[in-house]
Amino acid sequence: MEIDKNKNEDKISILLEDLDSLKSYIEDLFSFLPLPVCFISPIGVILETNPAFEKISGYKIDEIIGKSIEDIFAKEKTKEIFKEAEEKGFVKTREISVFTKEKKEIPVSLSIIVRKSKEGEISGYFIGLFDLTDIKTYQKNLEEEAKDLQDSRSALINILEDVEEARKSAEEEENKTLAIITNFADGLLVFNKEGRLFLINPQAEDFFDVKSRDIVGRPILELATFPTIEPVVGLIGGEIKGVFRKEVQIKENLILEVSTVSMMREEEKFGTLIILHDVSREKMIERMKTEFVSLSAHQLRTPLSAIKWTLKMLLDGDLGKITGEQRDFIEKTYKSNERMINLINDLLDVSRIEEGRYLYKPILTNLESVIQFVVNSYKEEIERKKLKFEFKKPEKKLPEVRVDVEKIKLAIDNLLGNAIRYTLAGGEVTVSLKCVKKEIELSVKDTGVGIPKDQQGRVFTKFFRAANAIRMETEGSGLGLFIAKNIIEAHGGKIWFESEENQGTTFHFSLPVKEKFKEFLKEF
Amino acid sequence: MDEIINKETAKKLMEIKGEIRGMDLKSDANFVIKERGKEILNKVEEELKEVGYPVEYEKLETMGFYPGGLRALSLLAVKKALNFNDEKIREMGSHAIKVSFIVKIFIRYFSPISKFFFKETPKIWNKYWTAGEFIPVELDEKKKYAIVRVKNLNLHPIYCLYLEGYFSTFAHLVTGAEEINIEETKCVFRGDQYHEYLIKWK
Repeated sequence: MEIDKNKNEDKISILLEDLDSLKSYIEDLFSFLPLPVCFISPIGVILETNPAFEKISGYKIDEIIGKSIEDIFAKEKTKEIFKEAEEKGFVKTREISVFTKEKKEIPVSLSIIVRKSKEGEISGYFIGLFDLTDIKTYQKNLEEEAKDLQDSRSALINILEDVEEARKSAEEEENKTLAIITNFADGLLVFNKEGRLFLINPQAEDFFDVKSRDIVGRPILELATFPTIEPVVGLIGGEIKGVFRKEVQIKENLILEVSTVSMMREEEKFGTLIILHDVSREKMIERMKTEFVSLSAHQLRTPLSAIKWTLKMLLDGDLGKITGEQRDFIEKTYKSNERMINLINDLLDVSRIEEGRYLYKPILTNLESVIQFVVNSYKEEIERKKLKFEFKKPEKKLPEVRVDVEKIKLAIDNLLGNAIRYTLAGGEVTVSLKCVKKEIELSVKDTGVGIPKDQQGRVFTKFFRAANAIRMETEGSGLGLFIAKNIIEAHGGKIWFESEENQGTTFHFSLPVKEKFKEFLKEF
Repeated sequence: MDEIINKETAKKLMEIKGEIRGMDLKSDANFVIKERGKEILNKVEEELKEVGYPVEYEKLETMGFYPGGLRALSLLAVKKALNFNDEKIREMGSHAIKVSFIVKIFIRYFSPISKFFFKETPKIWNKYWTAGEFIPVELDEKKKYAIVRVKNLNLHPIYCLYLEGYFSTFAHLVTGAEEINIEETKCVFRGDQYHEYLIKWK
């Protein structure tokens, strides 16, 4: 079709083209503008919007044109802002919410310019919006982060307060512990897990004649350079081995009992505590007591020996004939004197043991012959009490052992003597000798009165006599088993027993042969 | 007049004197694209081509003047191509005023209504048409109604529907009323001397 345009007037045509271009320019500008803008009529009807406004409101142009401004913005706030705009001619960046087609609320910053006619009447309002969603989200995030930071700060302050409280508490505990350590009657040395001295209390400083500042921080082996500490280092070694109540002489009048305690925290060793207990006074008293006993025994033994030989001479008729009645009395006196001499001998043995003067002279010996010798010495007594006696010897010949024959005889004598003494007439006594691995074991079993359970723990202590034994009015100093134990242990052996009251008792001891015995020999 | 687009109808329409602004025709294309997409616009253009008056909507000048008969012919082509009913034609009128550049130019005169109604609305008509006459007859803001007439423009009944949508939305924009009722009380195609519309609002 040939469109018949009106071209009568060129000027009109040019003007129309210009108008068309202007409209196109305005539309492009309006469409391009990224900010939502709209034009509102004086009665609050939306007459024009751009694509950005459509986008933010969710309405298409057909839907938004003709809508009341109050359908899009919050009613009360809108009235307030428009009123201000009418008064001032404009309003800038007022925060308000846009309610979208999907009923979402979008925060925006709103600006208004009032459009007026030539006569000054309001002909509408241009509105520009700025979407605050991102800013609000950012602001919210910032606020949340600030709140989180605030919360974290509060939590941190709480933790710090707790830590401070715990620190104070720990400090108090440390002070208490330090006060206890400082005032502790025993000397204390604390080593860290690297073996360096961490702490020494005043008592230990006194023991060693040292000052804390001179030795704290040094490794244990370095402490051995101090003459007073050297004995302790020699006992526990560089690795601080575990010891319990081991005596160490530090100087002439100072004997310390040393014990080590591992300090653990959650199954991990973090140090070692060394406790130094001063036993000098106890040792001195013990020594004085032993010396007294030894002196007394020696003083008593001489007159008792004289009495013995005098009585012997009387009994043998060397001093003239005595009557039967006189013999009876003198024999009883002789026996009593013998018991007293035995007691004195026992006391002297005990004194020697305690003074460390109980010397041993080991020689290679067949133990069986030693036992047989002791057994033979009890033959008459066994027969007199009509005891059923048996000496069970091993089928194979036993290896010789290195023992002090006299001391071992004494130990066996004490065991066999007790068995015979505390077994009623007609009872049984069995001596067994056997070789178990690398040890020779002797057992002395009886069917005697036995040892009450509640007293068994004190069997090897000095002067112990079981209550039922005392009731039997038998002889006995209560020193035999103490002496026997010391003799056996001095030979590197062990001694033990089983006993049932009214059933009988079995004493055992074992002596080492070969390697163990070699070790034992080293001690001599 | 026949509501089906054909060469005869087209010829008669194109013989009508007077011209219409390009923007009004372009609003048809705009509505079609909004409703069904750009493809269907080709079909509309095909319809026009078939009846001997090819139009490329994109090439129309917004402010240019085109034969007045093309106004009705475009509506008939759209109706056929998209199978629109009367209501859809009214919607096209409504849409046209929403995107009208001329209306935006006159926005500044919307208030007060009485002055705008009697003084400015005829001018708006004249911005669109070189034919016909728009007469604001009566306005009662209290009773909320107005009467307008269109004289000397016997285009096509489909344009009567289009004007119903156009005036209706115009009334809404000017009054801000949510509910608008419009009735063509007189029509040249029903034997009257002019077209008359009664517009009520609540």
